[in-house]
Amino acid sequence: MENENFDRDIKATIKKNWRLFKQSRLGMTGLGIVVFFGFLSILQPLLFLTGIWDEGIYHPVVGYDAEKVGRTIVECPTQYPTKEYQQEGDCPRVDEVNIRYLKAFNIEGEVGEIYESNVQPAPPSSRHILGTDSLGRDIFSQIMEGSQVAFVLGLISAIIGVGISTLLGTAAAFYGGVLDTYLMRQSDLVLMLPTLPFLFIISAFAELQIWHLAVVLGTIGGLGGSVITVKSQALQVKVKPFVDSARITGGSKRRIMFSHILPNVAPLALLFMVFSVTGAIASESVLSFLGLLNIDMSWGIMIYLAQAEGFIFTGLKYWWLILPAGLSVTLLAGGFYLVGRGLDDVFNPRLRRR
Amino acid sequence: MLIYTVKRFFEMIIVFFLFLIISYLLFNAIPGNAFSSLLLNPLLPPETYQRTIELFGLDKPLFERVQLYIINFFKGDFGYSYIYYPRSPIEVIAERLPRTLMLFSIVNVIAFYSGFLVGKVLAWRRGSKSETWITIGSVFSYTVFYPWFALMMLWFFGYKMNWFPLGKFLVPEKWYDSPYSSDEIFYTLILFTTIGSFLLFLVFIFTRNIESLENRRNARIVGLLFLLVLASIYWSNGEASLKRFYAADIAFHMILPTFTVTLVAFAGTALLTRTTMMEVLKDDYILTARAKGLSQKRIRDRHAARTALLPVVTSFIFTIITIIDGSVLTESIFSWPGMGQLILEAVTREDIPLAMASFSFIGILALIAHFIADVSYAFLDPRIRVKADS
Amino acid sequence: MSKALLEVKNLSMHYDTMEGNVDAVKNISFEVNSGESFGLVGESGCGKTSVAMTLLQLQPDNSVITQGSIKLDGKELIGLSENDLRKVRWDSISIVFQGAMNAWNPVIKIGEQIREAMREHYPENTKQENMNKIIELFRMVGLDESTTDRYPHELSGGMKQRAVIALALSCDPKIIIADEPTTALDVVIQDQILNEIKKVQDLLGLSLIYISHDIAVIAEMTDKIAVMYAGSIVEMGPTKDVFKNPIHSYTRALLDSTPSIRGEKKKLKSLDGEPPSLINKIEGCSFAPRCPNRDTECNPSEHMRLVEVNPDHFADICSQGK
Repeated sequence: MENENFDRDIKATIKKNWRLFKQSRLGMTGLGIVVFFGFLSILQPLLFLTGIWDEGIYHPVVGYDAEKVGRTIVECPTQYPTKEYQQEGDCPRVDEVNIRYLKAFNIEGEVGEIYESNVQPAPPSSRHILGTDSLGRDIFSQIMEGSQVAFVLGLISAIIGVGISTLLGTAAAFYGGVLDTYLMRQSDLVLMLPTLPFLFIISAFAELQIWHLAVVLGTIGGLGGSVITVKSQALQVKVKPFVDSARITGGSKRRIMFSHILPNVAPLALLFMVFSVTGAIASESVLSFLGLLNIDMSWGIMIYLAQAEGFIFTGLKYWWLILPAGLSVTLLAGGFYLVGRGLDDVFNPRLRRR
Repeated sequence: MLIYTVKRFFEMIIVFFLFLIISYLLFNAIPGNAFSSLLLNPLLPPETYQRTIELFGLDKPLFERVQLYIINFFKGDFGYSYIYYPRSPIEVIAERLPRTLMLFSIVNVIAFYSGFLVGKVLAWRRGSKSETWITIGSVFSYTVFYPWFALMMLWFFGYKMNWFPLGKFLVPEKWYDSPYSSDEIFYTLILFTTIGSFLLFLVFIFTRNIESLENRRNARIVGLLFLLVLASIYWSNGEASLKRFYAADIAFHMILPTFTVTLVAFAGTALLTRTTMMEVLKDDYILTARAKGLSQKRIRDRHAARTALLPVVTSFIFTIITIIDGSVLTESIFSWPGMGQLILEAVTREDIPLAMASFSFIGILALIAHFIADVSYAFLDPRIRVKADS
Repeated sequence: MSKALLEVKNLSMHYDTMEGNVDAVKNISFEVNSGESFGLVGESGCGKTSVAMTLLQLQPDNSVITQGSIKLDGKELIGLSENDLRKVRWDSISIVFQGAMNAWNPVIKIGEQIREAMREHYPENTKQENMNKIIELFRMVGLDESTTDRYPHELSGGMKQRAVIALALSCDPKIIIADEPTTALDVVIQDQILNEIKKVQDLLGLSLIYISHDIAVIAEMTDKIAVMYAGSIVEMGPTKDVFKNPIHSYTRALLDSTPSIRGEKKKLKSLDGEPPSLINKIEGCSFAPRCPNRDTECNPSEHMRLVEVNPDHFADICSQGK
C-alpha cells in the first residue's frame, strides 16, 4: 500500500519534471541529438543482422568496397592561377584526373574523356552515403561504430564517476572528521594530476581498451572536483529539518544517509553524470586522435587517420573524411551538454524563468 | 582561523609530496627506461648500457631512489635531464616555460573577460532570439572537438587564407643575425605585458572613486590612451626599438593559437557566468536596484554581475592548473615549443628527472592557484573577509 | 477636495503560470492623498504585495495587467517605458521591501548603495552633498553615520531595516510604500521601526502606503484603510470608521481575531478554512465559503462590487451580514 503510494509519487514527480524539461527548447534539441546518435549506434548491428548491409563491404574496420568512379581526364596547367583553378592544390578536382598521372602508369586516355577507376577515398554516392575512406571503408558505418564507442565509454565512465563521487561526497559530508579531510585532500591530489600526460603514462604500460579507459576516466572524474561539489550539496541537505527529525525518531546513521541524504543529492548527481558524458566523449576522441587507444574505430581515430594521411590540409575537397567525424564528436558532446542544461533548469528552481 | 590556515597548509604540503611520490612510481611503472634504446644498438657493448644505468642511479632499488629524490628535492637538486644531458631540468623548463606562460596567460585573460561579458549578456537577455543563438555558439565552442577545430582553424587561416604562419613561434630566417636570443625577447615581452596590465589595473583602481559615472568613464579612457602612448614611447626608444622587430615576429606567430584557444576557452566561463548570474538575478536586491531607478546596465554590471563573479573567478583560477595540461594538445598542433611539448617528450622518452620537475612545477602551480583562489575570494566577498579577520 | 496624489482605478492583474492563471489583483480602485497614510490589510497571499509591485511597475515578467490605470500626480504609469519609469521610481515613489534583510547587495557598502540611487536622480550632486544627506537621513532613522562604511552583513536586522528606510527617503519621494517592513523583526524593534516611519512621515509630510497582515499595526499607523481578500478590496474607509463600524464579515473576522487592550474582554475568534486558491476562477463572492454569516441576506453568486455605506466608507455589496 505504502509502496504503491510511493510509486505514484515518483511517477507524478517524473511527469512534472518532464513537463518542465519540455519547456526548455535547447534541452529538447539536445535530447533529440542524443536519441539520434543512439539510434545510429543501434542501427548498424541491425543492418548487419538483417543482411541489408554486407559485412564484407560495410564493416567499419575490415570492410572494403572498390567503387568505380568515372572521372574526366584533364591536363593540369603548369602556371597558376588560371581561369579554372586558383592554385596548385585545386587541380585535379575530385571528379577529374590529371593526364600526366595516367601517363606515368602507362594508361591510355585523352583529355576530355571519362576515365573509370577505383577511387579511394570515394565521394558520397548512393551506395555509401558518406563516401569511403582511403582504404575503401564506409564512412557512415564508421560513424555508427564511433557512436557505439562514444555511448559505451561516455555512459560507463559517467556512471562510475558519479557513483564514486556521490558515495564519497555524501560520506564526507555525513561523517566529517578524518574521513572528510582525507577525501578532500585526495581530490586535491587528483586535481593536481595533469590529465593528458597522466593518461600518456597509463597508456604506456597498459594497452587501453575502451573498458579500461572508461574506468580510468570515471575514477579520475569521480575522485576529483565533483566530490567537493557533492559534499557541499550534501552538507546543505544535512542541516535540513527532516534529517534531524529522522535522527530524533531513531533512524540509524546508515539509513539516514541512504534514504534521506542520498535521494536529495541524486538530482545533482544525475546532472553531473550528463555533464561528465560530455567530458568523457571529448577525452576519448583526444586520446584516439593521439593514437593512444587500442581500439579499432572511433571518431577520434577517423580524424587521426584523416590528419595522418594529410587530408586535413586538402580542406573541403575531401570533406567527408573530416567533417562527419568532427561534427559527430561535437554534436553528441553538445547534445549531452544541452540535456544537462535542461535538467539544470528542472532541478534548480532559481534558474527557472517563473 | 590561523589554526585552520596552518593545518590546511601542512595538509597541502603532504598532498604535494604524495603527488610527487605517486608520479615517481608511475613513471617507474612504464616498462623499460630512458636508456633501453641503447640495447638495440648491436655495436654497443652491454657494459656501456650497464655503466650508463649505474651512472644515472637507475640500478638502485625503487624505494631508495624515491627517498633520494625527495631529499634532493629539498636541496633544490633536480638532477640532470636524460634527453637534454647535461642540462638540468630547471634550465630546460626555464627556457620553455615563458613561451607557454606568455601564450596561455594572454589567452586566459581574454577568454575570461570575453566569457564573462558574453555570459552576462546571455543571462540578461534571457528568452530573446539573440540569447538562443549565442548559447548555441557557446555550447558549440564549449564542446567542439578541440584538435579537429584547431586543425580546421590552422587550415583555414594559415593555409587557405594564408594570413598567419602555420605553427612555430618565429621565422628562422629573420633571426639568423639577431643579436638577441628568442628567450630574451620572450622575457621582454612578458615583462612588458605584466607591467602594462598592472598599470591598467592601477588606472581602474584609482578612477573607482570618481563620483560621476560619465567622468569616471572619461578618466578611464584618458588613462588607457596615456598607457598606449607610454607603450609606444617604450618600443621606439633605446634597446627596445632594436628588439621591436623580433618581438613583432613572435607576436605575429601568437595570433592564431591565441585566437583558436580563446574561442574554445571563453565558452566555459560564459556558460558558467550565465548560470550563476541567472541565480543572482532572482535575488531581492536586484529588485531593490530596479526600484531605485538604476539604469539596466548599472543593475546588470554593478549588482548582478559583481555578485555572480565570485564562483566564476574561483572556477577560473582552477582552470589555471589545467593550463599546462591543455597546452599539450595546442602546442603539438601549432608546433609551439613550450611546456606541453616538453612534458609530452619527457613522458614518452621516460626522462624521469625532467618529467618529475615538470610535474612538481604543475603541483606548485596548483598550490599557488588554491592559495590565490582563497585570497581572491576573500577580496571579492566582504562576507568572507570579515570571517578571515576575526 | 484636493486632487489625489496616487489614483488607482479598476486595476486587475494576473500571473501566467504553468498551472494556469493566478488572479492576484482583481478590479482594485483606491486613492491616496498627499500627506495621507493608507493601509492595506489582508491575509498572506491575498495580493497585497502584488499591488505594491504593480504600483512601482516592478511586477514579475509573467504577470499581465489586464485593465486599469495607476496615476501618480496625474501621470499614467502603466505602459510607461522602462526608461521613463526609472525617473519616477525612487524620485516620486519609493518602497520599503518585505524582507529588508535581503534588500541589500551583500558585496557593496551601505553608503555606496544609497549614493548610487542619488547619483541616478541627482547627477549634479557632489559626493559631499550626497554624503551629508545620507548622514542626515541616518540621524533621522537613528543610525550612526559610520554605518555608511559598513557592509550589509555587518548590521543587525533592525539596523538594516532602518537603513532601508533611509534608502527609501534618499531621493525625497512623494510617496513611500512600506510592504510589511517589520515582519522579520522582534516585537521591540518592530515598535521602534514603526515609530521611526511615523515620525519621518510626519516630519517630511509624505504619503505612506502601509501594507501589513497585522490589523493592529495598521490601526496605529494609518488614516485610511482597505481590507483585501482574495485579490479584491472588500472594505475601504477611514480607519476609525472601519474599526468602529466594520461592515464586511471578513473585516469583522479580522478584528475579532486581534486582541484589544482597551474595551471589554472578549474571546478571540478564528476564522475556519483557508483563503481560496487564486488559480481557480471564483464566481461570485469569494468569501462566501468561509463566511460565518452566510445564511443571512447575502447572495453568494452576486459579483463583488463596492458600495458606499457611509460617507467615504465603502464595503462589498455581498456578505454584509446584517
